[in-house]
Amino acid sequence: MSALGILTNANLNGGQKLAVKYFTVAIALFGAQVLFGLLAGIQYLNPDFLFGILDFSVNRMLHINAMVVWLLFGFIGSVYWLLEDESGVPVAGLALGNLIFWIFTLAVVVVVLVYLLVQVGPGELKSIWLINEGREYIEAPRWADIGIVVCVLAFFYNVAATFMKGKFTGIAGVLVLDLIALAGLYLAGMYYTPNISMDQHWWWWVIHLWVEATWEVLVGCLMAYGLIKTMGVRRKIVETWLYIEVALMFGSGILGLGHHYFWIGTPEYWFTIGGFFSALEPIPLVAMVVHAVFDAGHHKLKSTNNPALAWIIAQAFGNFFGAGVWGFMHTLPQINLYTHGTQWTASHGHLAFFGAYATMVIAFLYIALQKWRGGVYMSSNLAGAWKWKWAIFLLHLGMIAMVMGLLIAGYEQSQIERAIEGSTWMGYFTAQAHPWFVQGMFWRQIGGWVFAAGFVLLAWDLMTIGKRETRPALVHSEAEGT
Amino acid sequence: MIEPVAMANFFTVFFSAAMVIMTGALYALLFAYSRIKHAPRLMSLAYLAYLGLFTSVMTLANAANLFHNTFWTVIVGLMLLGYLLAPHAIWHLCIGTHADEHPADDAQPAKLFQQS
Repeated sequence: MSALGILTNANLNGGQKLAVKYFTVAIALFGAQVLFGLLAGIQYLNPDFLFGILDFSVNRMLHINAMVVWLLFGFIGSVYWLLEDESGVPVAGLALGNLIFWIFTLAVVVVVLVYLLVQVGPGELKSIWLINEGREYIEAPRWADIGIVVCVLAFFYNVAATFMKGKFTGIAGVLVLDLIALAGLYLAGMYYTPNISMDQHWWWWVIHLWVEATWEVLVGCLMAYGLIKTMGVRRKIVETWLYIEVALMFGSGILGLGHHYFWIGTPEYWFTIGGFFSALEPIPLVAMVVHAVFDAGHHKLKSTNNPALAWIIAQAFGNFFGAGVWGFMHTLPQINLYTHGTQWTASHGHLAFFGAYATMVIAFLYIALQKWRGGVYMSSNLAGAWKWKWAIFLLHLGMIAMVMGLLIAGYEQSQIERAIEGSTWMGYFTAQAHPWFVQGMFWRQIGGWVFAAGFVLLAWDLMTIGKRETRPALVHSEAEGT
Repeated sequence: MIEPVAMANFFTVFFSAAMVIMTGALYALLFAYSRIKHAPRLMSLAYLAYLGLFTSVMTLANAANLFHNTFWTVIVGLMLLGYLLAPHAIWHLCIGTHADEHPADDAQPAKLFQQS
């Protein structure tokens, strides 16, 4: 290892060198997500803004696609980060992993450029393959879809072959099985049918099962590794809980998919299935609350990496509020009839994605930086600690303001557009012009600016944290004593 | 199969649904904290939180017309039972998984309802 505080790849193993490349692109795409979100937010308030130059539909698409891809890059980077550490052997096929990284990154750049350069035009077979598939959230053209599956399969090979060669831990087992689902479920989004109900049926497999099941399990694995690294929780305990929580998540989450099938033309029995399993979905979150209290009690929140631990705690709360509270508020079909597809959904989506996923990737960035700087001290009284503390505060303040603004706008839409006007076009426009909607969107925009300030501070902190530190990182027995 | 919520009940449904999860978590939190700190008084607060959960579920069920249908009435019953027992079951899992770590402290968990 080189001198403490110096950022150098000499401190990293092969998998970790690849991981930091993924992390760098992830942060850049996070910035793009914030930028396009701000522009789309301005267009809600001033629809003429950038009209004909950068249309709202393109801004919104880029905002959401950037989020999906930066989180994916963050997850892949995190897995490469822990791979050699967990398995005890060098990454199998690392050259392939590096090649795939450059292909994946280049493909993302090309897709974004095409989105920006070809904003309008006819939708035909050629445009599905080359420009835009036209399916919300997974608009990437077909060639990029195939590329994503190939990249994930190559990534799967790296992970599975490395664990086969070295130690196959509990985290490894769950991770390998999860990556099969990660590659397989994406294929459901490539199925073409002219029947809109069937199309939506399979599309939700990608949106719900890919994001809400395979990503949740992936985050569970990352959380397990993160707790071992930051708090020194014993592997046996962490892995047992990983099995329990994965079982609970799959038990309630797979058929929880039913709450997306209420209004797309699928049979009525989905009301029963969706309603029942949606009522069960908060149980894993309650389980996590009990276990978090138990662990916090045992370890007294002492850690070797305070910023990472703070983001891990933010994940537990964000997941609970975003997925649990905000989800259950409008998941029963009796009320979902009025709320689905309004800003209610956007409010839930913002809090759940940030709380459940973004927080975990950011925690991993701090874990990575600690080692990248030679295993530098990151516990209490860290030099320049105000930056990570203010970044976490501003990002959460901005997110809460956005979520509340969208909630007010969505509440108004559910009443005026849906209940009073009966989902007509007139109702849609009446609701959009209502003062409560406009004010909700105004405050959402203010929240967006605060969030953007938090992002800038986060990026600054990630570039500088530990730079002036000369103390080595605490080991867990020392952490217990601080 | 379902009877949509009346517009006048929108807020009641949103609020009571949020309170179901919040009081459920509060119950679980106080339950776990009471056991880990060996503080029986907190267990009374935990069951008070469960009472809040019970009230929230009943309010939600009433406002969302869940009692008008047998299936949804059964769901309400299962929710109440599930949320009551889940923290107990999870606590036993915690004890089981941490048994090697603190054998003297936690190997003998307090019995169900013992501290209430």
